[in-house]
Amino acid sequence: MSSSSTADGDDEFSLGNGPDRPYVESPIIMATVRIVAPFVFTLGAFVMFHGADSAGGGFQGGVIVGTAILMIAIAFGVGPTRDWLSASMLTALVVLGLALFMGIGLAAVASGGAFLEYTAIPVAHSSKYGIELVEVGIGIIVSVTVVGLFFALAAGHSNEDDEEVEQ
Amino acid sequence: MTPVEWAVLAFVLGSALATALLRDVLASIIAFAAYSLGIAVVWLLLRAPDVGLTEAAVGAGVTTVLFLLTIAKTVRPASDDLFVDVDLTAAGVSALLVAALATTLSALPPVGSSSTPVATSRVTNYYLENAYTETEVENAVTAVLAAYRGFDTLGEAVVVFAALIGLLVVLDRGVLA
Repeated sequence: MSSSSTADGDDEFSLGNGPDRPYVESPIIMATVRIVAPFVFTLGAFVMFHGADSAGGGFQGGVIVGTAILMIAIAFGVGPTRDWLSASMLTALVVLGLALFMGIGLAAVASGGAFLEYTAIPVAHSSKYGIELVEVGIGIIVSVTVVGLFFALAAGHSNEDDEEVEQ
Repeated sequence: MTPVEWAVLAFVLGSALATALLRDVLASIIAFAAYSLGIAVVWLLLRAPDVGLTEAAVGAGVTTVLFLLTIAKTVRPASDDLFVDVDLTAAGVSALLVAALATTLSALPPVGSSSTPVATSRVTNYYLENAYTETEVENAVTAVLAAYRGFDTLGEAVVVFAALIGLLVVLDRGVLA
């Protein structure tokens, strides 16, 4: 959904010594990322969802999920990954994450409790599920922030043409 | 201290020194990632797996990628030297700061001591005894984070959110990607 005209410099992203050695051309890295990325993504989701019962939580899981996207962006190029994840979807996601957190808090208020008083919500095991949903909300915010920081750094300050994209 | 703990501490100290002394920025960033990984293991040895996970994911993972991205966008001066020339004044100031901070070490309780203010606090024991029955989550850290201190955590989430929005404002861009 993002504008098709990304900055010209996007595909010149490189981690090598010279500006003319794009990292995207390594078949070893591309093959490795293709195999490893789903596992990293799953680990991130596990850490996010299972944080209530083991080490982890929304902040850690969100970062790991974001890292999976970073991996893909490094292996297959920042530009294509940026087009694959539409800008409006990322913006919608980060707002959704915060809305989820606040929504749970306000749902408790609507049920007659205090803000974020999970037990006030008239659902079985509301505390457990409320905490899980809050963790997911945190995870979404953190993962989109990590991906957004990465894309913003990769793009630099050059392209003004993205301003017209609706959010 | 077990041999493993000595080895991890030596690794952390070595990688920290390498980060400070290596001339090449890329090498310095890699040493810094190794340092973060070592610190993550230290957290694990201190029985703080949640903090260790954060350190490994943020310190060793994302920060390194963002640093790499930054130097990929900048020019690095070529040099044949392996290490930087140590600025003696700066080194002296650093040593003074470390010495000043080290004077507080004797005030800290031993690691794992049962008489620390945290371990004997009424609040800690309340959390440990009631966290599961009151919040239905087994990880007491998550219970404190999301339930007892939920409002603080909302603040943290908003800080992360605001960082992203602030970045867009600073870069004068309307969208994330």
